[in-house]
Amino acid sequence: MRRLPVYLLIDVSGSMTGEPIESVKNGIQLLLSTLRKDPQALESAFLSVITFSDRVTQVVPLTEVATVQLPNITASGGTSLGQALQTLTETANKEINKGTSSEKGDWKPLVFLMTDGQPTDSVERGLQAFKEGKWGIVVACAAGSGADTNLLRRITENVVVLDTCDSNSIKAFFMWVSSSVSASSKRVDSGAQPDTLNELPPPPEEISLLKF
Amino acid sequence: MSLVTIQAKDGASVEFIKKDPKQGGVKDVYFSPDRSYVVAFYRKELDFGSKERLERLVGNYRVGIFSKQGAEYWKNLFRWPERIVEYEKKTGIVVPVYQPNFFFPENTTLAGAEKEGKWFTSAKNFNRFVPEGEKGNLLSYLRICINLSRAVRRLHAAGLAHSDLSYKNCLVDPKTGDACIIDIDGLVVPNLFAPDVLGTPDFMAPEVVTTMKLDPKDPNRKYPCRETDQHALAILIYQYLFHRHPLRGSKVYSDDTEIQESLEMGEKALFIEHPTDTSNRYKIQKNDKDFLPWIDTGKLPYKIMGPYLKELFEQAFIKGLHTPSERPSADDWEAGLIKTADLVQPCLNKDCVKKWYVFDNSTKPVCPYCGTKFKGQLPVFDLYSSHDGKNFRADNHRLMIYNNQYLYLWHVFRNVFPNEKLPDSQKKPVAYFSFHKNQWIMINQTLDSLVDLTNNKPIPKGSAVPLTNGLKLQLSQEQFGRVVNVSLVKA
Repeated sequence: MRRLPVYLLIDVSGSMTGEPIESVKNGIQLLLSTLRKDPQALESAFLSVITFSDRVTQVVPLTEVATVQLPNITASGGTSLGQALQTLTETANKEINKGTSSEKGDWKPLVFLMTDGQPTDSVERGLQAFKEGKWGIVVACAAGSGADTNLLRRITENVVVLDTCDSNSIKAFFMWVSSSVSASSKRVDSGAQPDTLNELPPPPEEISLLKF
Repeated sequence: MSLVTIQAKDGASVEFIKKDPKQGGVKDVYFSPDRSYVVAFYRKELDFGSKERLERLVGNYRVGIFSKQGAEYWKNLFRWPERIVEYEKKTGIVVPVYQPNFFFPENTTLAGAEKEGKWFTSAKNFNRFVPEGEKGNLLSYLRICINLSRAVRRLHAAGLAHSDLSYKNCLVDPKTGDACIIDIDGLVVPNLFAPDVLGTPDFMAPEVVTTMKLDPKDPNRKYPCRETDQHALAILIYQYLFHRHPLRGSKVYSDDTEIQESLEMGEKALFIEHPTDTSNRYKIQKNDKDFLPWIDTGKLPYKIMGPYLKELFEQAFIKGLHTPSERPSADDWEAGLIKTADLVQPCLNKDCVKKWYVFDNSTKPVCPYCGTKFKGQLPVFDLYSSHDGKNFRADNHRLMIYNNQYLYLWHVFRNVFPNEKLPDSQKKPVAYFSFHKNQWIMINQTLDSLVDLTNNKPIPKGSAVPLTNGLKLQLSQEQFGRVVNVSLVKA
């Protein structure tokens, strides 16, 4: 059966210490508990969490939402966004069943990237690799005013902004992620995959959609 | 909390608590203080046509269904909008709340979630996430399907089409066999109000999928109507009975998911169990263990539902798949499902997941779900009826006998049917069965003129008749009364 892979790419650099990182952890828990009461998501959605600071770590390999266990996540160090994109692409390549002419593969993955600052590594190579991958909807979230929205815009046209990096905003973001995954899994459940942000539920007021 | 009291268009007083609305696709839903109804407001302003449609649904169509015979019965099968309200420039409808058994109970892992169809149509959800006590059994799924067929039959009889039947719009309770159609405000009145939506993709008819890219004014474009409801109903029934989709097989048409979708549900739609074209059989993949055994069509083919449903599935997914006029009507499904419910026998394995199975017409019945063989004596009643009181012909209706099985009036008379029109007085059993001293007996409770034709002996009320192979019983001497022929399978 086809799976709907969902990748969360989370900035855990030093600037996320305190309220932001705690809010992210609560947000992912909220995301999971919501999806666990949604029959479409329970059937098809698989979640992976990749964190990046100085290092990039896949803290949750692609796992069905029913059994995901979230390890403790701590914030420290820099923001290796380029390496994160590289790792995401390589990991997805390994984890996703691409299908053949005689077998249907998985659905294209959804990617939700959240960062609060400027990358501290070079992003070009990772960005290049990422651009060559096959993705479903990719959303980049600039948490607070420190993130480089122009750079995020090069990753995806779907950039959303949280004005502040507080617990309410971060919670609202993950609620929106959960309704987006729900909506996507409902659609793939019926054979169609959304490919633009317009096909997802509108974000709540805490989140503004960046328009160019 | 802020209580709002408004006057509905019909003059009735309507109250709701204006706090934390539940947000649906297009409506915000508020509860009444006593939680007996909800007030659902459309977020967007309705156009003239939509308002007109609501007026009709709440007016004529509701009155037509709920003021006639069986009104109480239909209240359980439909959450029908009862009133229209206007508040702060928004249009809303007043709808009764769902019965409590359509929510998973508090002491389960899914506490509070609605029992929408997808919990039960998906093999993985059914296997792993539906709490044990909520899974129901084969008989309760047959009841769900009977209820849905009946509800659709009633809509069609009223000249309506649902237009978006799907597991989202049907709440079901496999514990009791109850089913209820919700979100009725989008109903289509053919030739009067066009549909708002084309349907939900798993359930859209092939002709709708094939023509959906045509210009809306193109006369070849197909819209939801009674025949597309018939397709959706057949899909729902198949999914509830088998926990798999009848058209989602392994055939690959394109690596583009959108093209694949539009071909496999549209122009190229092909039954996964087509008897001669096997190209869309589902090939089990290595990550499919959560979906077994239900997706294994070799192990649990559609034929296990017995002769009546086998024929209807073939009519729906082979003959009628691309020929809408050939599809079975809701009536056909209701009749076939009711007869199938008489064909089930209990599985001897008390841990069997389905508890019942349809008799396979063999002398060595085996439960297809758990492989348990039947052991013992199995009486089978074949029903015969007559149009002239002399010559009796087979009704193609068979009743399996098991401990605590009952005989009802609709078995006794060929003109009685178990549906909404049947008064309560006719719903009581007229005889029952028991395995007593190593022999099956039928105990007559209320039949006035039951006769053992083989031994030419009346069986008065309160007495029993042993069931032997070849025994013929006349159930009633009255007009429309049936004769049964008893066979005894010994395994």
